[in-house]
Amino acid sequence: MNDYRYDHQTVQGFTLSAIFWGVVGIVLGLLISVQLWLPAANLPPYLTYGRLRAVHTNGLALGLGGGAIFGLSYWIVMRLCRRPLVFPRLARVHLWLFNAGIAAAALTLLAGHTQSLEYAELEWPVDIAVVVIWVMFAVNVFATVVKRREEQMYVALWYVIATVVAVTVLYLVNNLAVPAGPLKSYHLFAGVNSANVQWWYGHNIVGFLLTTPILAMFYYFLPKSTGLPVYSHRLSMVSFWSLIFAYLWTGAHHLVYTPLPDWIQTLAIVFTLFLVAPSWGSVVNGYYTVGQDWSKMRSSYLTKFFVLGITFYGLQTVQGPTQALRVVSQLVHFTDWVPGHVHMGTMGWVTLTVCASIYHVIPRIHRTEIYSERIANVHFWLVLVGQLLFSITMWITGIRQGWMWKATDAEGRLVYRNFMDTVLGNYPYWHTRTLAGIVFTAGMLLFVYNVLMTIRKGKALQARAAAATQAAASAA
Amino acid sequence: MAGSIYRRPIAFAVLATAVILVGSIVTMAYPMLRPEMHPKVDGLKPLGALELAGRDLYQREGCVNCHTQTIRPLRSEVVRYRGNRAQEPSGQYSLAGEFAYDHPFLWGSKRTGPDLAFEGWLKSAAWHSAHFADPQAVVPRSNMPRYAFLKDAKLDGVELQAHMRALRVVGVPYTDADLAAAPGAVAGKTELDGLVAYVLSLGKAVERGGGGAGGVDLEAPNPVAGKPEAIRKGFELFAANGCNACHGDEAEGQEEVAPSLVDDAFGGEKGDLPDAAYFAMIKGGSDAKKALGRAGLPDGGMQAFGSELSEEDIWSIVAWLRAKQAHEAGEGEHEREHR
Repeated sequence: MNDYRYDHQTVQGFTLSAIFWGVVGIVLGLLISVQLWLPAANLPPYLTYGRLRAVHTNGLALGLGGGAIFGLSYWIVMRLCRRPLVFPRLARVHLWLFNAGIAAAALTLLAGHTQSLEYAELEWPVDIAVVVIWVMFAVNVFATVVKRREEQMYVALWYVIATVVAVTVLYLVNNLAVPAGPLKSYHLFAGVNSANVQWWYGHNIVGFLLTTPILAMFYYFLPKSTGLPVYSHRLSMVSFWSLIFAYLWTGAHHLVYTPLPDWIQTLAIVFTLFLVAPSWGSVVNGYYTVGQDWSKMRSSYLTKFFVLGITFYGLQTVQGPTQALRVVSQLVHFTDWVPGHVHMGTMGWVTLTVCASIYHVIPRIHRTEIYSERIANVHFWLVLVGQLLFSITMWITGIRQGWMWKATDAEGRLVYRNFMDTVLGNYPYWHTRTLAGIVFTAGMLLFVYNVLMTIRKGKALQARAAAATQAAASAA
Repeated sequence: MAGSIYRRPIAFAVLATAVILVGSIVTMAYPMLRPEMHPKVDGLKPLGALELAGRDLYQREGCVNCHTQTIRPLRSEVVRYRGNRAQEPSGQYSLAGEFAYDHPFLWGSKRTGPDLAFEGWLKSAAWHSAHFADPQAVVPRSNMPRYAFLKDAKLDGVELQAHMRALRVVGVPYTDADLAAAPGAVAGKTELDGLVAYVLSLGKAVERGGGGAGGVDLEAPNPVAGKPEAIRKGFELFAANGCNACHGDEAEGQEEVAPSLVDDAFGGEKGDLPDAAYFAMIKGGSDAKKALGRAGLPDGGMQAFGSELSEEDIWSIVAWLRAKQAHEAGEGEHEREHR
């Protein structure tokens, strides 16, 4: 057995922080879903849709996503390097700064301090904090990997390393701005150029926060929790390099039909189509891994989280290239189709994989089993139903509204001249989305309960064990 | 050999970075060196002080989360946002050169509410003020939040100067005179004034107004006056072209948004004018006010419909308004008789 101690406290700290910010972000998501059909649910000035949406997206991408990435990457890095972190105290400071940073992000966004760049809303002082937090992570990851006690780096480590370098490049470039006050700045880039830099960032920050680190978790925790080796190492290699190569060309598919030069749009569309291949490399690898023994779906409760997670990743990475095509983009761009697409990735792929990884890690930290597999199963089904209901309703109403915007009669006149006529049809779907959110939130609250009860159970066992040793010692 | 990269973390990280940089350089960094990424339409001016203050508020309130600011070159979109009134065919949709001073761009990604790229040509200050304060009063069943609180806060000229200085650093050509004039330009103005001014500045760098009124011949008769089919058509056109959005479904007007078209006043003054005056206002928009010698609402902004409605269409709308007027007057007499 290993005779060194892993830094489990920090991993658990990040995991619980991620859960906390996740609950905040999900509840805010529920609130803004209500605001879309009930304007009276906006409470100006702070609690309006315009300000809260950024708190929702940042809270989940940076709070839940960031916390899970830091905590679970530390776990993966320590295991795959067979050693504790090189700088355990730095990791602890990292944990506290991370939480302070997310709190600062939430408060400044509520107060209206925003760069108006999607997923890069944070103003410059908070940006600096984010960079410091990220560098602390990078230092610990690289130092630990360099001083590892296992010669070969496993595929999960490649994805962690790619995440560290790519996010650094993306974040530094797109947040270049000139301060105009303590919490106000102007983007260094203007107009079309500003748009091009922003969507190069916007698309890839999703790629390198919600794809590559999640793939690291997938490649590590799926074999761990099923006991099945990854199907093809060669496929892992090919997918990895082609994914990180192709991703960075695709940002401009967010700008189809805008004044951005056509050649950049076309290049982005072509590479987006190509991106199906490396994405499906991981999907095929995942399926064939579990395909070695499908009975794991029954015997190990986490298997279905990973299988459904990678399935949504597969669907997401086919839908994305489809909607990048000009003919599809002109219909669904700017409609609710797009939030439907995004939430299949976040509520499906990311949530299922991150939750399964946390279910794997928490009991091992406390040397016990999960508090309740049955609750975990209910959690799985609620999240699945909530996500499907959310995405499918948004796809339907997105196509519906896109069609109404485009509808013209024989003489070229608009059939639905009044914009409100195209909005009204959204209301029943927006109601259904809130219902979907409630189902999803209920599932996630069960997850939180299950994790907390597992920790409690582990602590009680430890206390009993400690008491027993003490009793044995005093008896002797 | 190839396998050894997986045993050398630093080399691996360097290689991964290089792989990531290829696409970044070709699609993000290299285009910056090309002039097509930095175009400017003729006569483009930086936003005025009040408009800039409004843009800062547009950012602060997250308007970009629900409103886009780019008209795509799609026929249905050009027609919806009335780009077809543009003088030059290229002006029918958003042009790269209009955004040269936008730090950052505010094109958005979701159209929960309508696009605002051409808003400066579409609505009046009066409409926007009323709409921001209580959107549902102006657009029933709208889901836009209320922004009445913007009326209570005054703009800060000194802060605005700091913003203009920062914009100068990133390349917006504000002069010292612009900076000096800023506090005066926003003195006493509310945040709402700024936001309305900004929204009305959108799309104005390109001529998209549909051309002025031209000469008005008040003697010109309405060729379709009183014809039932023209009256029916006029009613349909009134709704189909969104006239009701400001003037109300029955042309009765909306307080502080747009005047009634069926009372005995015209352009804010008592005393009606002949059919040709209505014709001129619909055809040429607010530009016709001067020719007619009527001031109208101080913040009023009637759009020009000359390029999308035929003369006969316009006369039909006037015919319907007259029929409506007669009907209203008739009801009034009717009530008096019974009293």
